[in-house]
Amino acid sequence: MNAFSMYVARESGLHKLHPLTKGSLTLALLVAGLTLPGDWTGYFLVLFIILPLARWGKVLENLVRTTWSLSWPFVLSVILIQSLFWGKGTPIFELWGISPKVEGARYALISVGRIILVMADFLLFAMTTRPDTLMISLKQVGVPSSIAYIIVTTLQIIPSFQRKALTILDAQRSRGLETEGNLFIRVRAFVPIILPLVLGSLMEVEERAIAIQVRGFNSNRKETSLVEIDDTRRQATVRKLFIIIALLCVVARIAWQLLT
Amino acid sequence: MVENIKKEFSTRTLVLIPIAIAINIAIGELVVRLKLPVYLDSIGTVLVGAIAGPWAGALTGALANLIWGLFNPFAAAFFYVAAVIGLLAGLAGKRGAFEKEAPRWLSVLVGAVFVFSLTMFIFAFTNATTDETGFTTYPSMAELFSSYAPIFIVAILAGGAIGYFLLQRGGYAGIWGLVTGGIAAIISAPTAAYVFGGVTGAGQDLLVAAFRASGAGILASVMAQGAVSDPFDKMLSFMVVWLILRSLPARFKAR
Repeated sequence: MNAFSMYVARESGLHKLHPLTKGSLTLALLVAGLTLPGDWTGYFLVLFIILPLARWGKVLENLVRTTWSLSWPFVLSVILIQSLFWGKGTPIFELWGISPKVEGARYALISVGRIILVMADFLLFAMTTRPDTLMISLKQVGVPSSIAYIIVTTLQIIPSFQRKALTILDAQRSRGLETEGNLFIRVRAFVPIILPLVLGSLMEVEERAIAIQVRGFNSNRKETSLVEIDDTRRQATVRKLFIIIALLCVVARIAWQLLT
Repeated sequence: MVENIKKEFSTRTLVLIPIAIAINIAIGELVVRLKLPVYLDSIGTVLVGAIAGPWAGALTGALANLIWGLFNPFAAAFFYVAAVIGLLAGLAGKRGAFEKEAPRWLSVLVGAVFVFSLTMFIFAFTNATTDETGFTTYPSMAELFSSYAPIFIVAILAGGAIGYFLLQRGGYAGIWGLVTGGIAAIISAPTAAYVFGGVTGAGQDLLVAAFRASGAGILASVMAQGAVSDPFDKMLSFMVVWLILRSLPARFKAR
């Protein structure tokens, strides 16, 4: 399957886990990281849970690299903005009228922890879960097959769509459309590129609808699947546990907020 | 109610949604490639809302961001914002915003009011004063107007011109876009401020920095940044969809 995906194929215990087990773990980590009090919770969870799990899943290097490449613009921006423009506070140093504040830097570091947690958490899931097994497991717990169809189809058509957009861009350029220059020229280039792209793909809708209808898309029969997904009683229990942890975190946070 | 929702999700709608999500991503990337100062990453979502209805629009928005989140978790955190955008586009479609032709004077009025209030908003923020106790006072509108009168007159004229040439006869779609953008700015700010420390890692951060420098809090700065960039962006998205729907052959629209 040549789908648009971050999946990294490896042989590991983490890859073999049921997709929903990993999904509920992802949720629990996300909720815990954002609701638990304490400023360094994000760093703690990444360092002691996500990174060891990534090592177990043999994707440590990919995870660190991708997390960094997605996070650094945020990290840079939050540190610059929040430390330099904090307003009143204790200055770290003063130089040519620039004085970063201690409180701002602290806030920035807390934010960086949250940003890295969110990125690394989602990426760990995306890298170790095959999109098609995720869909099958979602269907098994009762998600309508139309939703599963939308997700799988989207992942498959995005690469061909990006190619189509570039083809149209090249075609219009070869007809003399200017796509570089000042803002006005670039804005004018926009419409001649997107109209063919969108109109052309909307024309496909009809064909695709007929194609899936004649293949029994609207059938009520229970479908069978080529891919088998391993599941164990123990994993089902662990999944419930993760969900309970997530709920407890939210409840604890609300209670803590109300009491203080 | 349930019957109505079911009717929205015909096989055609189900086929349309993945294509719409791909349109979101393809155009979003094209905008980056052309270096335009907007996002325009919800055109597909608005399109589904306009063609199929509010629930289909909301589902498209939510799924688009969640799927995008498999590659860039930043998008996933804002899935509820995208759902609201799709929902509002659907409501706009039900009211005929994408079909009715607005008179051109209305477009001029909308453009002028929008640019005027945007200018007022920015000045109100940059002229706000914070005293020692952290209490922020904003200048009164009349005061602002009298001290910056020439700028406001230019803003009104520029807004009118934008309305006349850009909105043209799509005034209704433009208004819905502006309102949607305003709502999106308000509901996305808490997540942006709490989870991401108020930054997007892109050019818009300069605006956040400017508002922070004027003494505003983090949440207020993020909201202000959104209020400056989101309504314009969503207005453009709604206008592009209006343009697309006008260029579609009648055969497609008839179904």
